[in-house]
This record gives sequence, structure tokens and C-alpha cells, in this order.
Amino acid sequence: MVKFVENELISIKKEIHDMWTLVYEQLDNAYKSLLGPDVALAELVAAREKRVNAFELKIDSDIEDFIALYNPVAVDLRFALAMLKINNNLERIGDYADSIARFVIRTEFKPEDRELFEQLKLSQMYETALAMLKTTFESLEQQDIAQAKSVFEFDETLDSINDQAISVLVDYATRHPESVRLCIELAGVFRKLERTGDHINNLAEETIFYIDAEVLKHRRTAAPAQPEA
Amino acid sequence: MPLQFDSAYNKRKRALQQAMFACFRVLSYSIVLVLFIILGFILVKGVSVINWNFLTQAPTDGMTKGGIWPAIVGTFYLMVGSAVFAFPVGVVSGIYMSEYAPKGKLVAFIRTMTNNLAGIPSIVFGLFGMAFFVNYLDFGDSILAGSLTLGLLALPIVIRTTEEAFRDIPSSYREGSLALGATKTQTIWHVLLPMAMPRVITGLILSLGRVSGETAPILFTCAAYFLPKLPDSIFDQCMALPYHLYVVATSGTDIDAQMPIAYGTAFVLIVIVLLMNLVANAIRKHFEKKLKQK
Amino acid sequence: MNKIEAKNVDFYYGTFHALKGINITIPNNEVVAFIGPSGCGKSTFLRLFNRMNDLIPGARLTGQVLIDGQDIYEKGVDVDVLRRGVGMVFQRPNPFPKSIFENVAYGLRVNGIKDKDFIRQRVEEALTSAALWNEVKDKLKESAYALSGGQQQRLCIARAMAVQPSVLLMDEPASALDPISTAKIEELICELSSQTTIVIVTHSMQQAARVSNKTAFFYLGEMVEYGETKKIFTNPEKEATQNYITGRFG
Repeated sequence: MVKFVENELISIKKEIHDMWTLVYEQLDNAYKSLLGPDVALAELVAAREKRVNAFELKIDSDIEDFIALYNPVAVDLRFALAMLKINNNLERIGDYADSIARFVIRTEFKPEDRELFEQLKLSQMYETALAMLKTTFESLEQQDIAQAKSVFEFDETLDSINDQAISVLVDYATRHPESVRLCIELAGVFRKLERTGDHINNLAEETIFYIDAEVLKHRRTAAPAQPEA
Repeated sequence: MPLQFDSAYNKRKRALQQAMFACFRVLSYSIVLVLFIILGFILVKGVSVINWNFLTQAPTDGMTKGGIWPAIVGTFYLMVGSAVFAFPVGVVSGIYMSEYAPKGKLVAFIRTMTNNLAGIPSIVFGLFGMAFFVNYLDFGDSILAGSLTLGLLALPIVIRTTEEAFRDIPSSYREGSLALGATKTQTIWHVLLPMAMPRVITGLILSLGRVSGETAPILFTCAAYFLPKLPDSIFDQCMALPYHLYVVATSGTDIDAQMPIAYGTAFVLIVIVLLMNLVANAIRKHFEKKLKQK
Repeated sequence: MNKIEAKNVDFYYGTFHALKGINITIPNNEVVAFIGPSGCGKSTFLRLFNRMNDLIPGARLTGQVLIDGQDIYEKGVDVDVLRRGVGMVFQRPNPFPKSIFENVAYGLRVNGIKDKDFIRQRVEEALTSAALWNEVKDKLKESAYALSGGQQQRLCIARAMAVQPSVLLMDEPASALDPISTAKIEELICELSSQTTIVIVTHSMQQAARVSNKTAFFYLGEMVEYGETKKIFTNPEKEATQNYITGRFG
């Protein structure tokens, strides 16, 4: 019995690993396409979004089968539940990567927009999000709770950059009325990255729940109020 | 309501229970007591004559002196003879009834008849033995005729124990063997018979213990009043312990000299029967241990 | 290729209609589990595949049971040959009162094999495939009753595997065993399924879920539903199946 369960656990873990790698690539490519700007890369990201969605459904159904057929308990049950939620959170992050890519596809950037990006600290925002995603991934791989917990601090960086970005964008739109649309869209990108941060927090929480059975979700009083996406 | 351990009702109940148990205990112990009284009686009365000569010599001086050696040997021959007859016939019939015969009225009928056979008085067996083996088959008064008659007497017990021994084997063993492609005969021979054997053997020994003490069946078929020498062939008559006991105790001329011999004979007979029962028990225990080892 | 195929099978014990119009196809080298409440006919159906029900007086069958395309109830089919190819493991371990070695060799011997080296080799293979060899290799001459219940059951599996059946029928093979022995038997089922088609009757739905590729649910002599185990346990078609596997009845 242990053997069957072990095999199933390994295969679910492998799927989550692949899903995570895929979503990280999506987010990273969306970033690169935005910096480029690189419409071809953005189109690739948009095309791959279907794959992310299909993968999510497959993992969901595999975990459902696992629970139905093997009746996991204790650490195995926590694993199954954690992976189920990690899967859903990853899919949402994939969605954000997709919408950023679509923003790149439909927008014609001007050379001076690059300065705006600088002011907005876009790179810092984006790289922080990517780093969080990567750190959480590694903490799961290495079952390292401390590393997973370290992710929570980055989230505040995202929040503050996002807050500042709104002011910068309001200011910029006032001075460049022809760029209002761009500003609104960029505000959306920042909000998505901020939401991505929240989802990564969830990933870290689920990772810790699985490793330590520690339900941190409602204990972190410092958690920022989550704005609706 | 608090627990009340010492209510009057409970006390009465407990007293009644203790009285009942005491009654049962006395009754069951009394059975053992009766056995010991009989054994003790025989022992006290007969032990004085038991010695090496008593066991190894023929009776002399009109059975007022000497030993019982020919009777011991005769009883032994009769037991072996009846076993040789009853064992194969009984085991085969038992197997047939348990394994081959279609379940239903026929088997039920055979079983009833077998039980009736067991209920027939042994003197009737003796009469039949005399008519059939001694006269009709012309074996004469002989060990052969006596063995066959005693064998008939033992047969129902052997059949019944064999049948029960086979029937009590869980069907999963039959199925286990058949499921491997074995035939019914292979299954019986290689699986069921080894499993049933201890009980079959036990049944046989118990039945022999019983026939060894029978007088009536050999009265007309085999037993000799007195033989100075041991029998040479199965067509010879022989002496036997129970008949010898009967003769010594009833038709003697010198009661005072013969009664101790009668008790001595009875003692030897009882010892033989008890020994056989012990051996049967030991065999059963031995095989049971081997089979039930877990 | 379908290993076992039942067509319109009806089965009666005297006047009792035990199986009603059952059709099923069991593919080669799959593990198929039969589940259902007691008395639903799942064991009866299993025992049709090696004609074990022949032993029951008054039993009657209509319809066809095909193994490798051959109707096993046709006249002239040799039951002994059939049973050599269709092994069976029973609910309670039933080793014979013989040594461990002789238990496994039994099936070979009753099928007329005399070559000692061949028998020895086959016994070792069978015990190895039943994951028992390492535990018993130094006491092959000892009585099979010296083994624990779980070991005895694996011995019975080895005994069945020694004649290299292409189908192995298992009638609640772990219901008399403790959880650890059960786990070993289940692991064994998974390993054996690479070389044999296994049909297992079980009272434990978890066991059916763990070991089988396909599951058939029986109720009152009918086969209510048959399909992929994953499907049956996550989204059964029939309400009766759902009620049974969720423990709402039976």
C-alpha cells in the first residue's frame, strides 16, 4: 500500500513541479516581452496560457483520483490538499502573466515610455515577484520552512512599490493626457503583480502547511487587505 | 442510583449460584471417583498375582496356576486381525460417504444403517459370525473368523470417524487443491487423507480398544477354553483375555485359587485398553499440534 | 485482446436466481475488482471462471463464459486443464499439511511433472514472485503451518503462480489478514498484474480502489456498473454505485 501511495505522491509532486516551472516561465516571458517590447514572445505567452489551464485541470483531477482511490491521511492528506491549492494559485498567476502579455500585444510602446517604467520601478516590482515565486518553489523542493517564511517580507515591497506607482501614474497622466490609456493599463499591470504577490504568499502558506501542518493563513495579522483583482 | 453490592437479593443469588456449582462439581468428580474405585478394586484384588511368570506363561493345573500369555497373544492377534479388516473397508466407506456419494437420501440412509449396525448387541455379531464365517465360509473356529467378526463390530466406528474426519475438513482445502488442476482422487489422496489421518487412526485405535474387550463375538467364532500352545496360523483357535476372564471366573473348580487370576486378567485387560486410549490420545495430540502450528 | 468474456450469464442455485444477465469483458493483464454487498453474487460470478461452482449440487448456468475465446462450459472442456490456467486464491489461507516446498510444488506434481530440477526452479520462481522467497528459503522443508497468516496467504499465491496461470482469481484474499499483511498482498497484486490477468473480489472498497484498473459493482445478482476504477470512485454513472461506495447503504 505504501508503495502505491508513494508512487502517486511522486507523480503528483512531479506535476506540480512542472506546473510551477511552466508558470514561472510564463511570468518571466511576460516580463521580458514587456521590457522588449517583444510582441512575438508575448504571443507565445498568450498561446501557452491554454496549456497552463489544461495542466491545472489535469492536476486537479489527478489529486481528486488520489484522494478517492487512496484515502490519504495525515501528512499525505495535507500534501494532497496543499498541492490542490498550490495548483489553483499557480493557475491564477498564469492568468496574470497572460493578461500582461496581452497588454504588450495590444499596446504600441513609444521610446519615452521606458523612462516611465524607470520611474515606476517596474523592474524592481517584477523581479521581486519573480524572486518570490522562485524562493517559494525552492522552499517546497527542499522542504525548508524558514525559506518559505522569508517570502512574506517581499510582499510588503510589492505593496509599497504598487502604492507609489499609482501616484506616479496619476501625475504622469495629468502631464501627458495622450497617455491616459497607457497609464490605466500600467496601473492594471502593477495591480496584477501585487495580486501575484498575494498568490505567492498563498503558495508559501500551503508549502508550510504541508511541511509543518502549520496553518498560517489566518494567523498573520499583518497581512495587507487584499484588493479585488 | 448508587451501586449496591450487598443487597439481600444479590446475596441470595450468589448463594444459589454457589450451591449449584457445588452440586455440579460433586457430580462430575463422582464419575472420576467411580472409575478410580473400579480400577482400585481390580488392582487390589489382582495385583498380587501379577508377576513376570503370570504375563509370560500358559495357564497350568486346570487354570488354577500359571499365567495368561496365550490369552494376551490371542487378544493381540484378534486386534491386529480386526484392524486389518476394519481399517481399509471402514476408511474407504467413510471416504465414499463423505466425498463421492451424492449428498442426499442415500447417504443419510447409509449413515442411519451404519449407526444401527453400531447399536446391534455384540452377541448378535457373534451369532452372525458363527453362521457366516465359521459355517458358511467354512473358516471354522479360527482367528480369521474371530477377527472378521470383531472387525464388523469395529466397522461402524471406523466408518463414522472417517466420514466425520473428512467432512470436518474445510471445503477450502478441497477447492484449493482442485483449483490447481488436481483431480478429486489426487485431492483425497494428497491433501484430505493426510489431514484426516490423525482422527481416522484415533477412531481405529478406540474401536480396537473396544473390540479387545468384547467376549460375545468371539465366543462362537474363535475363542478357545484352553490352549497349551500359541496358534500357528489364522485358521487356529486362540485364547483371548476377556473370554479367559469369563472362563476363569465362572467355570472353575477351585474358586479361591482362580479368583485372583481372574482379577489379574481383568487388570491386564484394563491396562491394555487404557494404554490404547492413551496412545490414541497421544497420536491425536501429536498430529493436531503438527497441523495447527501457527 | 480480451482475456475473459461473459455473455448473458444467468446462474441459478436450485431455484435461486443468483446472477442475472451479466455481460463483461476483462482485458488481458488487467486487475479487475468485483465489489458489492454480501450476497450480491460477486463471489459466485468469480467462481464461474474456473468452474468452481460445478461442485455445488443444483447449480445451473445459461449463457457463455469465454476465456481466450474458448467457451469453458462447452462439452469436452477438461476442467483440470482449465483450472491449471485459471488459478485461485481463497479468503482464508489454505496451505496443505505439507512442507512449504511441497505446497508450492503440489500444482506441478498433480499435473504430472516429475523433473526434480524443473520443479525446484519453478518453486523458487513462484516463491520469489510472491515476495516470500527471502523469508522461507532456509526453511523450505518446514511445515507450511509454521508460517504466519500473511505468509501463508502469500504461500497460497505462490502455489497458484507455480503452474503459471494466465488468470488469477482472488476471493477476498486479504479479508482474514492484518493491515500489514494486507498491504503486502496488495503490492503483490500490482506486481503480478504484469504477467497475469487478476480478478479480485473484495469487501474493502479501498482495496478495490488501490489495486484495480477496473471495477465492477454487483447488487442483487446484477452487475450495476463496470468501468475504470478512477471513474467509479470519483464519478460513478449509477446512483446505486454512488450510494454503495459512499457507504450510504450495504
